[in-house]
Formats: sequence, structure tokens, C-alpha cells
Amino acid sequence: MFRRIRTGDIVIAVLVLLPLVIAWPGSRLLPGAGAGAVLGAWGQLAGVLGLSALLVGAMLSVRLPGLDRWFGGLPRIWTLHRMLGFSAFLLIMLHVVLLALGALPVSPEMAATVLFPPLDDGAVWIGWGALVLMVIFLAPTFQFFGRPHYQRWKRLHLLSVPAFLLAFMHVVMLVEHAALWWALVIPALGAVLWRKVLSPRLGRHDYTVEAVTALASNVVEITLAPRGRPMTYEAGQFMYLTPHDPDLKAGRGEEHPYTIASAPGEDALRVGIKALGDASRALQTVTPGTAVQIEGPYGQFFERREPQRRQLWFGGGVGITPFVSGARTLKREPGSGPDVTLIYLANRPERAYYMEELREIAQGHPHFDAQIHYFQERGPVDEAFIRSHCPDLEEREIYICGPPGMVDHLMGLLTRAGISRGRIHTEAFDFL
Amino acid sequence: MSMNRIAYTAFVAFCAVIATLWAVSVLVAENRETDDDRRLITQQELAANDSLESCWKAIDGKVYDVTEYIPRHPTSEDVMLEWCGRDATEGWYNKTPGRPHSARAASMLEQYLIGELADAPAPTAQPEEPAPAPDPAAHPQGRVLLGLSPGTYLDGRYRGMFSDRGAIQVNIQFDLRDHHFHNVRFRYLSYRDVDYLALEEHEELYAVMRQHRQIVEYLEGRPLSAMFDLYAPENVVDDIDGFTGATLRGNKLISAIRDALNRGVYQWP
Repeated sequence: MFRRIRTGDIVIAVLVLLPLVIAWPGSRLLPGAGAGAVLGAWGQLAGVLGLSALLVGAMLSVRLPGLDRWFGGLPRIWTLHRMLGFSAFLLIMLHVVLLALGALPVSPEMAATVLFPPLDDGAVWIGWGALVLMVIFLAPTFQFFGRPHYQRWKRLHLLSVPAFLLAFMHVVMLVEHAALWWALVIPALGAVLWRKVLSPRLGRHDYTVEAVTALASNVVEITLAPRGRPMTYEAGQFMYLTPHDPDLKAGRGEEHPYTIASAPGEDALRVGIKALGDASRALQTVTPGTAVQIEGPYGQFFERREPQRRQLWFGGGVGITPFVSGARTLKREPGSGPDVTLIYLANRPERAYYMEELREIAQGHPHFDAQIHYFQERGPVDEAFIRSHCPDLEEREIYICGPPGMVDHLMGLLTRAGISRGRIHTEAFDFL
Repeated sequence: MSMNRIAYTAFVAFCAVIATLWAVSVLVAENRETDDDRRLITQQELAANDSLESCWKAIDGKVYDVTEYIPRHPTSEDVMLEWCGRDATEGWYNKTPGRPHSARAASMLEQYLIGELADAPAPTAQPEEPAPAPDPAAHPQGRVLLGLSPGTYLDGRYRGMFSDRGAIQVNIQFDLRDHHFHNVRFRYLSYRDVDYLALEEHEELYAVMRQHRQIVEYLEGRPLSAMFDLYAPENVVDDIDGFTGATLRGNKLISAIRDALNRGVYQWP
């Protein structure tokens, strides 16, 4: 996922490091200053870096369609967001510990006073407030106490806003020049404001549920018709869907990500939805004619560096959806483009939804081939099976989408087969 | 190790470190209460170390040798040099006017502690009855006014104030050691919307401010009962002028000091 540096990565690096570069000269990291002073100075710098990581992480929550391409797709942004939050958490704890250790050479009491000063030292206590809030919203994020309930986690994660505002106040009270921090906190606040307040009103497209087609048990394809301005997208992208059907058992008014199954340019927008949680289970019986809103598109699953290279697709479970979108796109443009081979990894025939349609498309298309592999018949897919359908494995760009176990298995298999990691493309959908 | 595991482990380690530091500080503090024998430094000794080559400062009754630190202080050398060889408490609490140095700076300062300031030079007259003493017949004795036996007031820092008609006029701070005043200073001094501490030397009311400073100097090193000398400030302040009758009210200070004593120790020595 991080084999290539994207434009967005550089922007992030600059924003995160800028305060550090500015704070460095004033940090008294001078020779002969004594171990205590040096620890204290490192402690300050850790705090500076921690806050800038926290604020830039908040900026990344903006989720603007199109902007995610700068970062290699939205799932990669979430990973960056998570890494920044993680770094901020570690750095801010380090900040506290180093400052206290820095005072230890004077006396243990002084170390305790640096940590817990008299109550009228507001800046320090505000800093503590920020850290306590961070622990509260990060404990479920990092699953201190097991996997959190998704909606509760999402609400709790909003505590990040008071947390970074308190951390910002803490710094502004202590530094002489706060302009740079204002320049970071305003976009961070703006990003959250857009995501939580403005985008639900301004950033969504209105659609109506036209049809719900059962593909297998617990899997449906929902067909959506635009009521206003339709969303334009590319094959393999995904969007966030908010249903408003009053009869839904769960997830009404909540947004969840789903992969687009239709081809760009089709009148209707189709999504493949498997019951993986409360909200997606409820959507299996969504009432046709009810309103939904969608926001997107996001991701760039089929991003190609060498568009003329032949492709090999591996889809499994509901992870077949982006390839259905890809195959339907090929169907609309017969005779063009490079060769594509799809290997569908299903458990058994009843679970091989979309396979019939994929076979039909393959029959009518000179450059598209669709193969199926049943786990129940053959066990995990092996290199021999892949080579029997795709002898020129090394020549192809490889795309994988499916459950984590399948992705791991294929990654190991392909790496052992000598495929360069840069040729393999995946987009993870799991809760990070 | 996954990110989740690292975050959890780091958090547990963080809590452990903080708890350890806190526990150690408490244990060490208990241990230290018994052996508090710092070197006593006289005013003359302090005054002799007033240069870039050797710079000592007294802050809140403690003496620091900050010679090594001068080149590292964020300001130019002159700013620190100005306070060498004398009581620098005022400069310490007014990094910028009204804004004290940070807790971090305080922690750095402690590295340079070399001793404690011996009591201010003893006044020429007997401390219990400074000359010229107020007429003993007119007022009860100080000890009687306090109405307390020696040892009632614990050593420590005290803060108190006098307010009247809804406005604070005097806010005073002093350290008490064995019932003697030390480091007496005004935290606030105001009358009829004039902030006396902010007055410039050329301003008309500056003289009143100077008289109040003389009162503070008078109290320095004297026993607690000396505060009652302020009932007759003309005996205490030497440049009485036209303003004195209107504004120099020693009894306001007595009131503020007694308020401080009533409140009890603000900060342990």
C-alpha cells in the first residue's frame, strides 16, 4: 500500500514537519545543556510533532470525492489517518514522559510538579484534558477492549474534536508565535465541519431504490435511479450510501460504504451488498421506491500505471463486486483494451453469484475470460490452477478483492511465484 | 506487533511511568522533610557575586548561582545581569510585566540552587521595639493584639488582601520564618482605579508607591508583631509628604496581613 509515494503524502509530510522545523531552533538542544534539559527539549519537540500529526490527521477526515486520488484512494487515506492518529498518541505520551524525566535530575518532586503543577497552571491541565479525551476516543479505535460497535465508535470518535482543540489551546498558551498553529487548526476544524455538518446537506446525491435483486442468501444487488444530478464514477469505485426507508430495522440515516457493481454510463447505479453487519443486513429487504442518498465516488481500484498491460483479476465473496463493474464496463466497450482474465474464488456453486452474467460477458468479449474456482472442490487456490488459466502470470497487472484471509493467501502465493509486489493491487475494506 | 497492540502496550507503559514518578516524588518528599540544612548565605556574600563571572540571585529567599545559565537565557545578557547579586524575586515573577516564569523554567532554576538567604541585615534597634516605637500607652502591645502564643503561625508563604467598597486595594505576600517577615511584596496595590504597581517614576502618585515599598522594606526580617507599627506609618516611612495623609494607610496593610494569617499557609516552604 505504501510502495509508492503520492502527491498527498508529500503534502502531509510538509504539514506535519513544518511546526517541528520552526520549533527546533528554540528548543535549546545545545551541547552541554545537561541530560535533563535535553530530555525536556525532546519532550517539547515530541509534543509539537504530536499535535501537528493530530491536526493533519483530522484534516484527512474531510473525505472529498476526487481528493482521495492524491493519496491513492480513500482506503489508503484511512490508513494514513490511522497512522497519524497512532503517531500523535505515542508522541503525546512521550511528550509528557520526557518533560517529567527532564525535571528528574533536579528532584523527583520537580518531576511530579511538571506533571501535576498547581491548579492555576491552566495550560498544563488543559493539556491533560486533551490527553484524557484522546485516550477515551482512541481506546476503542485501537481496540483496547475488543472490537467496538461501529456506530458507537463513530460517535465516540467525535471526541477527537474537543481533544485537538484542547491540545491546540495548550500549545497556544505556551508558545509566543501561534500563527502556524492557527493555520493548522482551522483546516482541521473545517474538515470535520464539512464531513459532519455540511456534506450531509451539500455533498450527497439523491437516488431512489428501483429494485432489489437477491443474488444468493444474504447477498442482494440494489438498483438505484437518480432523482437529480447523477454521480459520475469509474469501474471499481465505491460510495457511501445512506438509506431513508422508514421500515428499515437498522442503519436508517447512517452512511456505510458499498462497492459499485454497475458500469459507468449506465442509467441506473447498482451496488452489490452482502449482509456483514446490522446495517447491510437490514438493506437486504430495503423497500423499493424509498429514498437513499449517496456520497462519492471514492477509491481508484483499477488505477493503472501501464494501461496496455494484460490483467488478472481475483475476486472472492462480495469482493467480486468491483470486477462485476469492470466486466460490465468491458461489455460496453467490446473489442478494445488489453486481455483480462478473471478468477472467481467461491466456496461452492450457490455462492458464485454474478458468475452466470460474467460468463455471458466473457462469451461475447474477445479479450475477457472468466474462470471459477470452488474451495469445496479443490481447497485453497494454488499456483498450478492459476497457471492453467493464466500461463503469462508474470506479465500481468494483478487485482485482488475479497475477504482478508483470501487476500493474504493470494499475496503469499503470488510473492512466492516471483510476482513483484508493485504489480499487485488491492483495496482493503476491513475496519482498520 | 500490530498497531493496536503497540498503542495498548505504550499506554500501559505510560501509565506505569507516570504512576512511578508520582510515587517516587511522594516517597522522596517524606524522606526529605527531616534534613533541610541548606547553606545560609548573607546579603554581603550575595552582593559580592554580581557579575558575568559570578552571578548569584536571591529568589523567594533562596540563592541561586546562575552564572552558567546566562549565555543560554533567551534574552541578552544585560537582562539577567541586572538582577545579579541581589534579590531577583521581582524579576522572576515578572518575565513580562505581571507574567511569571514557567514551571519548566522553575525546574531549571532549581538546578542552580546553592543555599538560602540569611535574614535581612538586622535593624539597628531591638527588633521587638523598633525605634521610634509607637506610644505603648496608646495601643495595646503587638503580642496582645495577635492574641496568640508563639508557634501558632507556621512557617510558610502567606497571601492576603484588603478590599473595601467592592474593590481590592491591597494584595500582599510574605514568607514567615519563625514569626519573622521575609520576602514581603505587593502582588497588587490600587486605590481609586490607580494601579500603583504600574506607575512610572515621573508620575505624581509614584511617591505614594515608594512609601509603600518602604513599609515592605521595614517589615523585612522583623517579627510578626512589627506589623502593628504600621498603625503609625509616619514612624516607619521616612519621606512623608502631602499625600501621606490621604493615601498611605498602614492599617490597610495590617488588615491584609492579618487576612493572610487567617487564611493560613498558602504554600509550604
